[in-house]
Amino acid sequence: MLRVGLTNWARRKSPWVLHFNSGACNACDIEVVALLTPRYDVERFGILLKPTPRHADVLVATGPVTRQCAQRLKRIYEQMPDPKFVVAVGACACSGGVFRKCYNVIKGVDKVIPVDVYVPGCPPRPEAIIDGIVKLLKEVGG
Amino acid sequence: MTSDLLLLIFRVLIFPGFLFLLSLTLFCDWFERKIMARMQNRMGPTYTGPFGILQPLADYVKLLTKEDITPRRVGGVIFAVTPVVSFALFMLSAFYLPIDGLNVFHNVGFEGDLILVLSLITLAHFTLFLSGWSSANPYSALGATRILVQFLGYDIPLIMLAAGSALMTGSLSLREIAAKQSVPLAILMPWAFVPFLLVLQAELEEDPFDIPHAETEIVAGYETEFAGRKYAFIRLSKDLQVVFGAALASNLFLGGPYGPLLFGPPAFWFTFWFVLKVLIVIFVMELIEAICARLRIDHVVKANWSLMFPVAVLSLALTVIAVPWLRGATWIELLEAR
Repeated sequence: MLRVGLTNWARRKSPWVLHFNSGACNACDIEVVALLTPRYDVERFGILLKPTPRHADVLVATGPVTRQCAQRLKRIYEQMPDPKFVVAVGACACSGGVFRKCYNVIKGVDKVIPVDVYVPGCPPRPEAIIDGIVKLLKEVGG
Repeated sequence: MTSDLLLLIFRVLIFPGFLFLLSLTLFCDWFERKIMARMQNRMGPTYTGPFGILQPLADYVKLLTKEDITPRRVGGVIFAVTPVVSFALFMLSAFYLPIDGLNVFHNVGFEGDLILVLSLITLAHFTLFLSGWSSANPYSALGATRILVQFLGYDIPLIMLAAGSALMTGSLSLREIAAKQSVPLAILMPWAFVPFLLVLQAELEEDPFDIPHAETEIVAGYETEFAGRKYAFIRLSKDLQVVFGAALASNLFLGGPYGPLLFGPPAFWFTFWFVLKVLIVIFVMELIEAICARLRIDHVVKANWSLMFPVAVLSLALTVIAVPWLRGATWIELLEAR
């Protein structure tokens, strides 16, 4: 009982994030990077941006997933150790957004890998992304 | 006889051994992150325990409970064992420091444990290299070769500068070196202390020398393929390395556990001064890290062989010249015990 409580506490308090751009226009990526700047500073919650999928707990994916990116996105997801979560950031990542009629996109991260939290917006504000991650953590902690 | 054995077990496992050093390591990890954040006008860890002080604990518990991935084609046993071995080597070398006046094995050490400790950390660096080399990943291999380039180069100035303070006190025992400093050697010979801090920065892979795990170039360097508890041990040995480096600097140049104020139980005051000096050294190193940008790899090698190496030689020469003069000066009773 205590062990489960400690594990859940640790997972809630230290979500490490991997950021992946699957063909986004860079607006969402700038908003994600803004989370690390002094104004929003998500290290307050223990969130760190990690360079490799092996160290990460949460995959923050942006972009409509181009056909070329789909395999890479899937492989990066598979390289992450369990338990792992996915946050789709931006209208494109949720449904394809303005690119949904394009011939070369798959229209959404959830067509390739399971998504836990959707953060819509074009681009979403950093507050919205923090809100999405906090909602995810509530789900994790029980 | 049994009580001696029990005391030894207590000292190795709890205080001032494993548990004490582990909690000090976790505290220093939080301390570093907080200083770094404040220097960058951020908050740093805030909501995990009071002032975020439990953040490192949460990180490690999470890493230990994650899935343990062993990718195909990695170097089998070496890949599995190196994280623990490097952690054990750093822990063992920290055991030889006189933390509460004596070392963890409850004796005064022996003449030459400085050399033993320096060779142990060189071995530990080599283990870190092996961990990257066995990962079967191009980024890990790049990071591993960068470790070798950096550590083999900077180990030489480190040992020469450490020899300076051994010459000054006339001893190769860590405890003797600390005990003989009635005036801290950092004040007597700043020409050795300042380069030592810079070289230590390179040994600990902190900015401006963090090329072995430069995120923007080679993903996470030699740590790239490690997940779960293997990564937890790699990270723990890195954190322990920082504490050990700071403790070595404070032992060689700041008088280690010996402080200006000593009354009551000596074990308490020795530990107090030890922790305080370690935190001061870590503060200075984090300050350097926060204000520096990363050097390029060729600059690091050039700075090593054409700058740090001559500086170390000159500093050693200056120490050799200065030793008789400082010994003759009666106002410093530095070497009266000899």
